[in-house]
Amino acid sequence: MDILKEISENLQKGKAKIVKELVGQAIEQGIPAGEILEKGLMSGMDVVGEKFKNNQVYVPEVLVAARAMNMGAALLKPLLSEGENVSAGKVCIGTVKGDLHDIGKNLVKMMMEGKGLEVVDLGTDVSPEDYINTAKEQNCQIICCSALLTTTMPVMGEVVKLAEREGIRDKVKIMVGGAPVTEAFCKEIGADKYTPDAASAADAAVEFCRAAG
Amino acid sequence: MTNRERFIRTLKCESIGGQVPTFELVFFLTMEKFGKVHPSHRYYGQWNQMSQAERKLHMDEMAQLYVDTARAYGHSAIFVHPNPGGLENTQWLLELIREKSGDEYYLMAHGDPTWAIPDGDGMTEFSMRMYEKPEKLNEESARRVEEALEFARKLDERGHLLDGFTLCSDYCFNVNPFFSPEAFDQFIAPYLKESIAEYRKMGYYTIKHTDGNIMPIVKQMADCGPDAIHSLDPQGGVSIPEVRRIIGNDIALAGNVNCGLLQTGTDEECRADVLRSLREGMAEGRGYIFSTSNCAYTGLPLERYEMMMDIWRKYGNYDNDKRNFI
Repeated sequence: MDILKEISENLQKGKAKIVKELVGQAIEQGIPAGEILEKGLMSGMDVVGEKFKNNQVYVPEVLVAARAMNMGAALLKPLLSEGENVSAGKVCIGTVKGDLHDIGKNLVKMMMEGKGLEVVDLGTDVSPEDYINTAKEQNCQIICCSALLTTTMPVMGEVVKLAEREGIRDKVKIMVGGAPVTEAFCKEIGADKYTPDAASAADAAVEFCRAAG
Repeated sequence: MTNRERFIRTLKCESIGGQVPTFELVFFLTMEKFGKVHPSHRYYGQWNQMSQAERKLHMDEMAQLYVDTARAYGHSAIFVHPNPGGLENTQWLLELIREKSGDEYYLMAHGDPTWAIPDGDGMTEFSMRMYEKPEKLNEESARRVEEALEFARKLDERGHLLDGFTLCSDYCFNVNPFFSPEAFDQFIAPYLKESIAEYRKMGYYTIKHTDGNIMPIVKQMADCGPDAIHSLDPQGGVSIPEVRRIIGNDIALAGNVNCGLLQTGTDEECRADVLRSLREGMAEGRGYIFSTSNCAYTGLPLERYEMMMDIWRKYGNYDNDKRNFI
């Protein structure tokens, strides 16, 4: 079997050690690092992401696949050329102020990294100022806000308003998600995108970054 | 019938007529309602430094707050959250509540040894254990079950003041369960089933709670034999008629009032949701406990909870003409 296909298939099964070994072999065979990344690792994560969206696999399967991807990608990182090393885009993500829940936020982060996005994780209890300052300082194209509590959801609106006041609203897309968040709420606060699950969030982020060029 | 008897008969899915029983996993809004800090919001770092007289004042006041909450809202059951925890304090709190209210209320406490969704930091490690060390994980599950049952046995030996355990490990996100149906069978179901069966042998009832979309695993949860399933989270797309279709009419259902909507919806939206919940829950004429789809959480507007309870008082009665729901 084509080694890149083998990498992809083992990644889908979460076989981290085998993925790492296969990536090592692929490097020895002289396959360019960018090709291993794209046709082996990311191709595998794409399949996992699609299956997750279609309820064919669940969160643990995604997590073990993401771990396998990270182990393989760690071998490739020093070998990627400057051009190849450019990420698909940069995102800062966090759970909004007053909210300490991190499960959903971490899942979205993992799925985004699986899509080749660079993710700055601000953690939980993140103030609007921290989102905006990070986006400005690190040139993020996207701000992702997560909330599990209805009582903390309004902070997402504050992030949107602060982005407007700071003059970066036309430079960043603001994505929102979390258990109580809805499409209607997203529109109401003037955010750009609501997604109901982590895989869709990653897809949407990639689309935004592509559109931004 | 006392509230406790009505609650127990509802858990047994018997027809009770009259008002539908109600309770909350937690009613956090005690400061607004009674001017008192909720027991779970108190920090008792110096508990052991206190004199016994001071500890008693605290414990007594917490017990009174639980009873006052139940009385104020017509709850049939009290979920105790002992603070500080442990066997002795749990027993003490139960004794005080029974002293103050006799057998008026069904008393429940936490007692779920099964795995919940891990937190964000531990989720990957837990998933790896599921894949790489399933036997070890299950050995740990068995130990957790034994610890929970030992706690139950000790409470049983001390007078069996508790009526039941509520098993609150959350299994589901809004979109899907954390555990696939296969993983649920491997890592959860055997231990959930054993816990429930052993609790039952000791004379305890069980309510299994989880937030989120339970539909892919609801039959498996029901097959573990709880007396009731709680939360029925509309934010996770759970509908009472659909759950009834899958698990039948012999397991009680509790919850389903969209607690997110109570925070963010209009009065009309909330009213419609509460009425929908009552209508669907009461449709079988038995086996339904009215409550929010989670709890009366910190930050929930008190007036919204009270509006919900006003609607329950008016419409949540099996003897009422069903046309009232139109």
